Amino acid sequence: MEKEKKVRVGVIGLGKMGILHTALVNMIPQAELAALSDINKQLARYVEQSGLRAPFFSDLAQMLSEIALDAAFICTPAFTNLAVVETCLKKDLDLFVEKPLAHTFEDAKKMAALAAASKNVHATGYLFAHMSLFKKAKGLLDTNVIGRIHRFKSSMYTSEVFGRKKGWYYDKAKSGGGAVINIASHLLYLVHWYFGRPASVFARARSIYSDGVEDDATALMEFSEGVSGSLDVSWSVPGYRLPYMDLNIEGDNGTLELTNDYIKLYLYKAQKSFPKEWTTIHKIDMPVSSPFELGAEGLYEEDLDFIGRCLDRTPAAVTWQDGLEVQRIIEAIYRSADRQKVIFLNEVD
Amino acid sequence: MKLDRLILGSNAFEGVSYISRTHSLHYLEFFAKEDNIVPILEAAVNSGVKTFMLSNCGNVMAALQKFPRNKELTLLPVIPNAYEYAMEASEKGVLGAVLTKAKGFSMYQKVKLGLRALTKIKSVISKDILDLLLELIHFELASFEKYQLGGVILHGQLTDLALSSRNPDILMIFQDLVRDSYDVEPLLATHNFGILLPQLMEWKIRIPIMAPLNKKGFMMRPSQPECERLVRESGYQIIAKKVLAGGRLTPEEAFPYLKDKKIDSVVLGIGSVPEAYHTFSVAKSVLNI
Repeated sequence: MEKEKKVRVGVIGLGKMGILHTALVNMIPQAELAALSDINKQLARYVEQSGLRAPFFSDLAQMLSEIALDAAFICTPAFTNLAVVETCLKKDLDLFVEKPLAHTFEDAKKMAALAAASKNVHATGYLFAHMSLFKKAKGLLDTNVIGRIHRFKSSMYTSEVFGRKKGWYYDKAKSGGGAVINIASHLLYLVHWYFGRPASVFARARSIYSDGVEDDATALMEFSEGVSGSLDVSWSVPGYRLPYMDLNIEGDNGTLELTNDYIKLYLYKAQKSFPKEWTTIHKIDMPVSSPFELGAEGLYEEDLDFIGRCLDRTPAAVTWQDGLEVQRIIEAIYRSADRQKVIFLNEVD
Repeated sequence: MKLDRLILGSNAFEGVSYISRTHSLHYLEFFAKEDNIVPILEAAVNSGVKTFMLSNCGNVMAALQKFPRNKELTLLPVIPNAYEYAMEASEKGVLGAVLTKAKGFSMYQKVKLGLRALTKIKSVISKDILDLLLELIHFELASFEKYQLGGVILHGQLTDLALSSRNPDILMIFQDLVRDSYDVEPLLATHNFGILLPQLMEWKIRIPIMAPLNKKGFMMRPSQPECERLVRESGYQIIAKKVLAGGRLTPEEAFPYLKDKKIDSVVLGIGSVPEAYHTFSVAKSVLNI
C-alpha cells in the first residue's frame, strides 16, 4: 500500500466500542471511514443522523461485497469474532479486533493461526499498551531501574456488578467469562508485556451476584526465572467509579508501583537518573501524547497505531499473538479455578 | 453571554480525582453525604462565587436542595450525565442505555413534562437519536426547574462525539433547544479544544466553550501552544477548566498563568472548606476580581 493512500476502514458492530472506534477513525487523517455494519437494522437511523458519511449495512456479507475496504475494526460480541474474522479475511482485510480476542481459548487459537498464515496486519484492543504511563513503566523495567525482579502483586477493581445482570456480556457461553476475561484481561496484558508467559497459575474464582460468570478471582503465578506474582480482580467492589489497576513490583534495587494515575519508585540507592528513595511520576505531568481523545486515554493512539501499521505493513503494537498469550493465561486461570489445581501454561495449548 | 469570573465545579463532589485512587475514594466517601457538600457551597457564596457547574447526581442535587442560600446560586448543569450512561452501556449497549433512560420518562416525564412527552415517546420506538437527545435534555433539566439557570453545558463526551462524527446538527439542535426552551445560553464542554474550535468556526457555530487550560498543558489538545493561540486569537468566549491541572498545581502556581489569557471564567473544583476560601482568595487576588 502506498504511503499517501488512505486506509479504507469498515467498522463492524456498533455497540459502545464500535461507536467509539467509528468516531476515532473519523479523526485519523490517514484513514477513511468507508462502511459501517451492525445486525441491528434500526441503527441505520443512528448512522444517518450521526453525521457519518459512511453507508450502513445490517448484512456484513453485503457490506464486504459492495464496499472496497482495506481494513476493519471488529467490535462485535466476543463469541462472534472468529466467524467475522473468517469472513473478513476472505476479503484480505487488515483487522483490529476489540479485546478479548475471542470468548474461548480455542477460538483465539484459531484466530491467531489465521493471522500467522496471512500477511494481514492484525491488532487487538489492549489499551494499556498505548497509555503513556504504562509505556513509561515498561521503559523503566526494560532499563532495569529496580534490578532483578523478585515478585509482583496486582489488582484491578471496578464497581459494576451488584446484582444479576442481563445481556451477552454476562453470559459465559457468549462472553467467555466475567471479571477475569472482561476486566482483568487488561491487567493480564500488562503481566504478559512486562513479565512474559507464566510457567504456572493457581486460581480461585467466585460468582456472587452473577449467574454463570465470575464476579471476582485471585490468581498466583510463577514465572520461569523465579518471579512470582499475584492478581486480584473484582467488578463488585464499591467505590470504584472506573476500573482501577495497581501493580506493585519488587526488585533487587527497590520497588515500582504503577497505577492509572502514577508511577512511584522507591530505590535503595540512586539508579540511572533517579535519586535514592522516592520518585513519583504523575500522569498529569507527562506531556500530552495524543492530539485527540475520546472515551479514554490511549484509544486514539491504539487506532492510529493500527492504521499506521496498515500503511507500513509492520506488526501492530498488540498483535493477535499477544492477544492469544493473554487468552492463554485467562484459560489457565479458569482451568485452575474449575479443577482446583495448579495449571502449567505449557499444557494450555 | 455574561458569566461570573469564578465558577464552582462539582467534580470533587462526584468523586473525580486525577491524582490518585486515595483522593478519589476520599471524595467519594466524604461527599456521599450531602451535608459535607453544603459547607463548600456556603464557602463559595461567602467568597462571592455564586455560579455552580454541576451534573445531575443524587448527592449534589441533595446538597443543593439542603443549602439554605440556594436561591443565590446560578446553575450551569452539565448534561447528559454521561457517566450514568457509560455504566449502563456495557450491559445494554449505548443505544440500550439511552433507551433505558428514555423509557424512564414514560413513567416520570408524563407527570413532569406533560403531554409533550407522550407525543415524543415515539422517538424511543423509532430510535430517532436526535429526538431522543432532545427528550433526554428536557428530562435531565427537569431536575433543575426550581433553580436559576445561567446556561446549559453539553457534556464533553457528547461534544467530542459530535466533533469526531463531523456532525454540526447535534450541536445546533442543542444550541436552539437551550435558547428557545430555557431562554439561557448553551455552552460546550470539550477535551479537544484545539480541534473543536476551528471546526465550530467552519460550521459558523458560536457557543461559549469550556476547555482545559493550565500551566502544565494537562489535557490541552492537540497541544498547549495551539490551545493558547486559539484562546488568544479566536474571539470565542472561553471558560477555563482544569486550571489547577487536576490538583498538581497550587493556586499560587496556577493563576498567574491565566492572568493574561483572554478567558471569561474559571471553573474550580473544590475538596474542602479551607481549600475553597484559599483558592477563591488567590484567584480573586491574582485575576483582579
